[in-house]
Amino acid sequence: MHEQVKTILAKVRSEPPNILKALLALQERLGHVPTEAVPDIAHALGATTAQVAGVLSYYPDLRLTHPGRHLIRVCMGESCYANGCGRLLRELQDRLRVDVGETAAGGKFTLDTMSCAGNCAVSPTVMIDRDLYGRLLPSQLDTLLERYK
Amino acid sequence: MRTVTRLYLSNDTSARAAGAGVLADAWSEHPEVQLIRISSRGAFYLEPMVERDSPAGRVAWFNVTAQDLPLILSGTDGTPVRSIPFLAQQTRFTFADFGETEPLALDEYQARGGLSGLETALRIGPDAIIEELQVSQLRGRGGAAFPVWNKWKVAQQARADQKYVVANADEGDAGTYCDRMILEGDPFRLLEGMLICARAIGAGRGYVYCRQEYPAAAKTLRAAIQKADEAELLELDGEPFPIEVVEGAGSYVCGEETALLESLEGKRGVVRARPPYPAQSGLYGRPTIVSNVLTFATIPNILSRGGAWHAALGTEQSRGTMALQLGGRVKHPGLVEVPFGLSLHQVLEQFGGGMAPGSRFKAVQVGGPLGSLFPASQMDIPICYDAFAKAGAVLGHGGIVVYDHETDMVDLARHFMAFTADESCGKCTPCRIGSVRGREILERIQAGSGTIEDLALLHDLGDTMKVASLCALGGRAPYPVLTAIEHFSAEFRSKLRT
Repeated sequence: MHEQVKTILAKVRSEPPNILKALLALQERLGHVPTEAVPDIAHALGATTAQVAGVLSYYPDLRLTHPGRHLIRVCMGESCYANGCGRLLRELQDRLRVDVGETAAGGKFTLDTMSCAGNCAVSPTVMIDRDLYGRLLPSQLDTLLERYK
Repeated sequence: MRTVTRLYLSNDTSARAAGAGVLADAWSEHPEVQLIRISSRGAFYLEPMVERDSPAGRVAWFNVTAQDLPLILSGTDGTPVRSIPFLAQQTRFTFADFGETEPLALDEYQARGGLSGLETALRIGPDAIIEELQVSQLRGRGGAAFPVWNKWKVAQQARADQKYVVANADEGDAGTYCDRMILEGDPFRLLEGMLICARAIGAGRGYVYCRQEYPAAAKTLRAAIQKADEAELLELDGEPFPIEVVEGAGSYVCGEETALLESLEGKRGVVRARPPYPAQSGLYGRPTIVSNVLTFATIPNILSRGGAWHAALGTEQSRGTMALQLGGRVKHPGLVEVPFGLSLHQVLEQFGGGMAPGSRFKAVQVGGPLGSLFPASQMDIPICYDAFAKAGAVLGHGGIVVYDHETDMVDLARHFMAFTADESCGKCTPCRIGSVRGREILERIQAGSGTIEDLALLHDLGDTMKVASLCALGGRAPYPVLTAIEHFSAEFRSKLRT
């Protein structure tokens, strides 16, 4: 762990250190940012443990645990709200038997929400990994989920 | 010999989400089709929309499925693009080329007048650029609506070893997507605006802070920066002016300019107390212009056409055009660029086409998740900064979301407060604690155990948050909640414990 963290961080070194950039680089490679690595990260960046832990706990996209193979995010923006995102979210919770932020049994999907995908004109929106689906009806969810292995 | 037909299909994220990507895949094996991926016209209710050339201009087919290909190739049943009322009735300047061009074709951008604003800027120099902006009366389009020239003047006059230009591409207001369209569809316009700013204030480095939710935008912009660099555009006075795209990590408040700067420095995206303003002391303590993407993209036309041209459009305090973004239960969601001054009613009828099938109007929210709600009786309000300020509302970034008869206003109010509670940066108490208490009260009312005192408490809480919060997140959060209570009070009262 220690060596791997050091190797990744060596590539994003800057003066002054950019903690967010470093944590995003780690997450890109490891899938999440392990909390036990915080002291190592702080040491490698020349920052304090508190500074690193502070940034890590602040940003919604920084993950402390490894997500499932696919990340499903239901947009909760106002246009999606007006177009029934609440029902989409409930249907997904039922189908995957998880709550928001949890990973379904088998580790295939992690369910999450997002505040706006900027896809308001073709809402409601669900984002799976980096793909966006618009005008989504609850009846289309099964076919959509089957596409992901 | 087989004839090859050139078809145009948008590569915009929302067009793809509506099915343009599926079309492109389905038609990739057809040798008789040459598919050109363009920006979107913003008439999203028609996407996926496919166009082809004709002697009288482009002809379009709407809501296309893969099976429609023979129809399109035979040229049957197409609609001339210039006869689409949604587009024909707009006054497009910033978005004039949308739907026409390939986003990364720099030569095309230039052939349509791109870079002529920069040319003017390089010729006339810093003082004259700022003077031109003063004449134009351009106000920042991100939400605060501060006069752009004023900000630039402060940064220009500040003495420092380094100055920065930062484009705020953290378009977090739900219901808005015009910045995303610019980043994906016309990225050189943003870069040109940033270069003009850098020239005016003497900046040596630029950043675009792009939200993580916009992966396609960041990718397109990075490609555009590389192309601009190869064309030797990213230099001023013989010095390099590098522009870097930095991605955020899902925090809404990082769209607030000082929180954005903290985040750009890699720290927690917490709001800074102002003054000093970023134009005096911004990124790493240096003079910094932070403006949103739409603002930068508006500037090239002002320089090439002149400030007076811009000032001739719009209303007394709101000059130029505004990019309004329609969403929610409206029949024609999409991007509408019009001069300031049209009424809310006009915009929703003329462009929005009324309500989506099966929906009856209940309320419309203008200005994102912190914007006020308007009931049917207040639809005459002109869309401009002055009228909105007078009504205690904000135009924000131009998002307009329509709610229909099925909307539960108590739950919607709870949704707004929960949003602020989630997104508060925590620096000031009114926002950090107030939003949580507000959410709890609304949850109580929703659960049927609220009392009339709870409504009074929400008003008190709202007043405190409005005056005592450090930034617009806490300061504006009460508005959608209190306007919901004001206009739909019977609905709130019916849920109270008797």
